[in-house]
Amino acid sequence: MSVEVERFSDTVVSFVDDDGYPTSIPVKLRPTEEGFTTDWPAYLRPKKHATLLFNHITPLQTGGYTDRRYLMVRAVVDTAGDRPLFKPVKSYGWDEQKTPFFQYCEQKIGQARSYLAKLSSSLGKPVKPRLSTLALLFRATRFPFLTATAAPVLIGVGSASYLGYFDPVLFMLTLIGASLIHLGLNMTNDYFDHKMGADEKNITPTPFSGGSRIIQYGLLTPSQVALMSSVLYIAGAFLGIYLAFLRGLVPIITIMAVGILISVAYTAPPFKLAYRGLGEAAVGIGFGPVIVLGSHYVQAQTFSVHSLLASIPIGIFITLILYVNEIPDALYDRQAGKNTLVSRLSRNQVVSLYKALLAAAYAVIVLSAAAGYAPLTTLIALATIPTAVKTVRMVNQTYGNPYLMIPALASNIKVATLTGLLHALGFFIWALGSMLL
Amino acid sequence: MDVFEKAETIMENALVSALSLVSPSGQVSTHPMLPLYSRERRKLYFTSSILFSKKAEYIKKNPKVGVLFSGRQFIKTPFYAAVHLKGDARVYEENLHDGWMWLLDLWRKKEPYIEAYIKQRVALPLFWERIVIEVEPREILLWEEGDVSKEPRRWTR
Repeated sequence: MSVEVERFSDTVVSFVDDDGYPTSIPVKLRPTEEGFTTDWPAYLRPKKHATLLFNHITPLQTGGYTDRRYLMVRAVVDTAGDRPLFKPVKSYGWDEQKTPFFQYCEQKIGQARSYLAKLSSSLGKPVKPRLSTLALLFRATRFPFLTATAAPVLIGVGSASYLGYFDPVLFMLTLIGASLIHLGLNMTNDYFDHKMGADEKNITPTPFSGGSRIIQYGLLTPSQVALMSSVLYIAGAFLGIYLAFLRGLVPIITIMAVGILISVAYTAPPFKLAYRGLGEAAVGIGFGPVIVLGSHYVQAQTFSVHSLLASIPIGIFITLILYVNEIPDALYDRQAGKNTLVSRLSRNQVVSLYKALLAAAYAVIVLSAAAGYAPLTTLIALATIPTAVKTVRMVNQTYGNPYLMIPALASNIKVATLTGLLHALGFFIWALGSMLL
Repeated sequence: MDVFEKAETIMENALVSALSLVSPSGQVSTHPMLPLYSRERRKLYFTSSILFSKKAEYIKKNPKVGVLFSGRQFIKTPFYAAVHLKGDARVYEENLHDGWMWLLDLWRKKEPYIEAYIKQRVALPLFWERIVIEVEPREILLWEEGDVSKEPRRWTR
């Protein structure tokens, strides 16, 4: 066994003393061909077995420490002259630089769950990890991802306002209904990714990928997740039906049914669109034309080319959120048979397609305005191009390293939602201007 | 300063310690741990996430533990001594969710940024389900200036 002794600032030898208590002394260990040796105090008799601890932390000026690593080595003890010779048998350790802390924690979930199971059995009552109700709901539903629903709803409503239709109450009801269905989708996705084993295999989740982990952490059972998901879908559908009665039964029910069907079929059998490489297209259609046309129809009681064209860029951008978030999950998705687009393409193909889709989304915004299907003010959405370029560079530079990719994933989400919101704002500004003039 | 008094100062100011336990196979298992010494209770405390709960399982089977405080760079005191404590440990696991919170006063003195992490509890929920390990000192060995070539000074209960 080779240990770079100089990488550790502290080394300790421990053994079981005659009284049955462990005893440790700080030493300077020197590597030899067979193991390690050290100067040994004359007043201590070496034992047959010892444990060596190589430890390192870098204390911070501001308090605390960083750069943690340690290696525990179990050894049998021989003698080399008047010195003990520690021959390694087994070792175990952690190096923060090689295994980031979040990943290390994920690797230990099995230990936590086994501990809780034993504790529950010894106490005769279930012991579970907890979060406050709000924090649990926030985490379980992946609430921050709702921006992906808000942007297309606003674009649909914005494109209607551009044509002279706007009702704030209907807008709020549409937003709430679509959000409930989106939250239901997130929980359905967690339920089925657990059933298929994709989230279990993933030991490098990030805040943006790998699911909510709510089932894996034992915070909710799969049946609780399924129940909550159903409640969210029912509540969303109830609002949709109400809007359908108010604004147009057949078109709104049809659009809502397509939306719900796509969201369930995304991971649920027998369709499992995400597992068949169709997840990205499903998300593009669901968060693009379905939400935008639906929101537009609720306001205008008619469909329009304007809203159809406006739905294309946001559909692409939301697809790109999923697409880039698939990069850190690709290895585990492949293992679980989840054939996402990213898991089937090479790195170069993934990045090239990413660039092409970004370019296409911005091109549709420009062409729609040029062709008169959107006001010129929608061109403010192009303001995110520099951030998009920077994000492509970040994705390329950190590709494949889940934790280094986190800023790139966050930036990609920012580009998608901000572009969507600016696109919607462009419609609203024009509508407001027309009204005032 | 007598041995216990000097050891208390070291334990209060050490940033890291090596907690050794005896595994069911009879081998020593040693873990770097943040030591939290309560002068008021005259006991040493550790808190461990359930993610790293093996040590608590070992202690429940064999409460005999050893804790070493060494490394000049980790001990922020005007004087330096290496300290080894033998003691009997007890595991508190009745309230994993916030039964360890009373240790926060001791914890934040050594890791001032810990508060920020606790506010992000939602990000690492299992990490913040924590066991408390209490160690009652039984014997203390103290090597002045960390020089272990000489016999240590001793304190016994």
